[in-house]
Amino acid sequence: MYGGDEVSAIVVDLGSHSCKAGYAGEDAPKAVFPSVVGSIGPSSLADGVKAEGEAEELKRTLYVGTQALGYRRDHMEIVPAVKDGLVTDWEIVDKIWDHAFRERLLIDPKEHPMLLAEPSLNTQQHREKTVELMFEKYRPPALFLAKNSVLTSFATGRATSLVVDCGGGSTTVAAVHDGYVLQKAIITSPIGGEVLTDCLLKTLESTGVEILPRFSFKRKEIRPGEFELVKLEFPNTTESYYRYMQRQIAADIKESVCRVADSNFDESAYANIPTTSYELPDGKVIEVGSDRFKIPELLFNPALIQAIPGMDKSFNEFASVKGIPAMVIQSINKCDLDIRRELFSSILLAGGTAAMQQLKERLEKELMEEAPQAARVKVLASGNGIERRFSVWIGGSILASLGSFQQMWFSKAEYEEHGPSYVQRKCP
Amino acid sequence: MSWQEFVDGQLMMELTHGKHLSAAAIMGQDGNIWAQSETFPAVTPEEIENIVKGFNDSDELAQHGVILGGNKYMLIQGEPGQVIRGKKGQGGVTIKKTSAALVIGIYDEGVQPSECNIVVEKLGDYLIEQCI
Repeated sequence: MYGGDEVSAIVVDLGSHSCKAGYAGEDAPKAVFPSVVGSIGPSSLADGVKAEGEAEELKRTLYVGTQALGYRRDHMEIVPAVKDGLVTDWEIVDKIWDHAFRERLLIDPKEHPMLLAEPSLNTQQHREKTVELMFEKYRPPALFLAKNSVLTSFATGRATSLVVDCGGGSTTVAAVHDGYVLQKAIITSPIGGEVLTDCLLKTLESTGVEILPRFSFKRKEIRPGEFELVKLEFPNTTESYYRYMQRQIAADIKESVCRVADSNFDESAYANIPTTSYELPDGKVIEVGSDRFKIPELLFNPALIQAIPGMDKSFNEFASVKGIPAMVIQSINKCDLDIRRELFSSILLAGGTAAMQQLKERLEKELMEEAPQAARVKVLASGNGIERRFSVWIGGSILASLGSFQQMWFSKAEYEEHGPSYVQRKCP
Repeated sequence: MSWQEFVDGQLMMELTHGKHLSAAAIMGQDGNIWAQSETFPAVTPEEIENIVKGFNDSDELAQHGVILGGNKYMLIQGEPGQVIRGKKGQGGVTIKKTSAALVIGIYDEGVQPSECNIVVEKLGDYLIEQCI
């Protein structure tokens, strides 16, 4: 049993888009950085044939954090830590935690209990591997794994709710009852912020707009106030890095101009809508018209992806994917009849993509149409976009500071006695 | 040790802060009670049958809840084929399956779900080792 003392816990939420880490008790994470890393490895460096009898492959160098990623390096590939909602590469996770603790938070993990947020659909093996990696390498005095949806629910002060988490890599709908996720009522969809960004990028490219990543040009002042664009060539830049930097810009465009339509998107209705202008980093100004509404519509109607130039190959992957209102109904229908009414009246929105304008209103409208007559539908979302992005982390911060939580930690002594599989009992 | 001693001495024993489980039992997978605490509710054979089925296919339990003695517990994450966990308000239930038996622990407010899990599953592991 770990009896917490004055040293506060560290809360880490490793999402598909970004990693949030900080101290429990605070209202926002101190360290927020991308959960992708730059990797320069033997496969990308190899030119020419290896000499016979040469040693095994060299280790790859990983670069973590916004600063390290922002600097263009030859042969650097962008590799994600999380794919389809689950961790795929543990070495990268290790590097990300190391960066968060040593370089961003400046703490010694041996002194702080760790509260880690995990995906609601996390498998038993993943949980055990997380626990093993954390205890063996970082040796904290205690740790706990909490499910994302439960933490979001705590962040809004509710023990029972339906959590709609619109994240970067995927959207997850999960029912939380009395502080625990109802395992069979979790529905996921691969359509998240990153898919929307990709669609926007492809749409803009099809209209002839070329989005130049920041490293590929510089602006020379030829006369006061007037700039000339000089393109820079870096032939050894990898495709994945080039696309990654393009996506950064497209994501910013998405966050500034995209809005969810008030009702079902109709190409003709929005054809004459006034355009919004956006200035790209290279000085070019682009006009975005009906695409502002078309892109977020994918959240409600995934079949629209066919209409997006260049994304029609993905349609087969997305053929069986449902829109958010349908996912909510499906999740609630998998729950016990007694709690369905309560779930309908407390639907929580969380995640970076949930910060999109008008999403809450549109979701509420769609659900009122599709829900059974007697149900009162209420969608709650924090007014503050920052709180929506960090609601999982904030829930963790609240949970780890509660007096009544201190007896729930999975201590190092218990790990050493019983091994990583003990986590299934201690963190149900 | 007799089954009743297992229940009284192991499952109903005092946990770290003076509390203990509110009810516990060890029973065969056919519904026959081998031993139970005084507080254990009366369960019907159908309830036990549903639970035993639910270890492999938990869709039914997810839809209608884990029912024990008329009390309904909402299904939360368990371990397929081994453990079923349910939650009801501040309390809940943990059911561990051994080769021939079910070890059931019911807890209420004041006891953590993890504490109930540890007590029930530890006894279950011991019974599995003894091939019971």
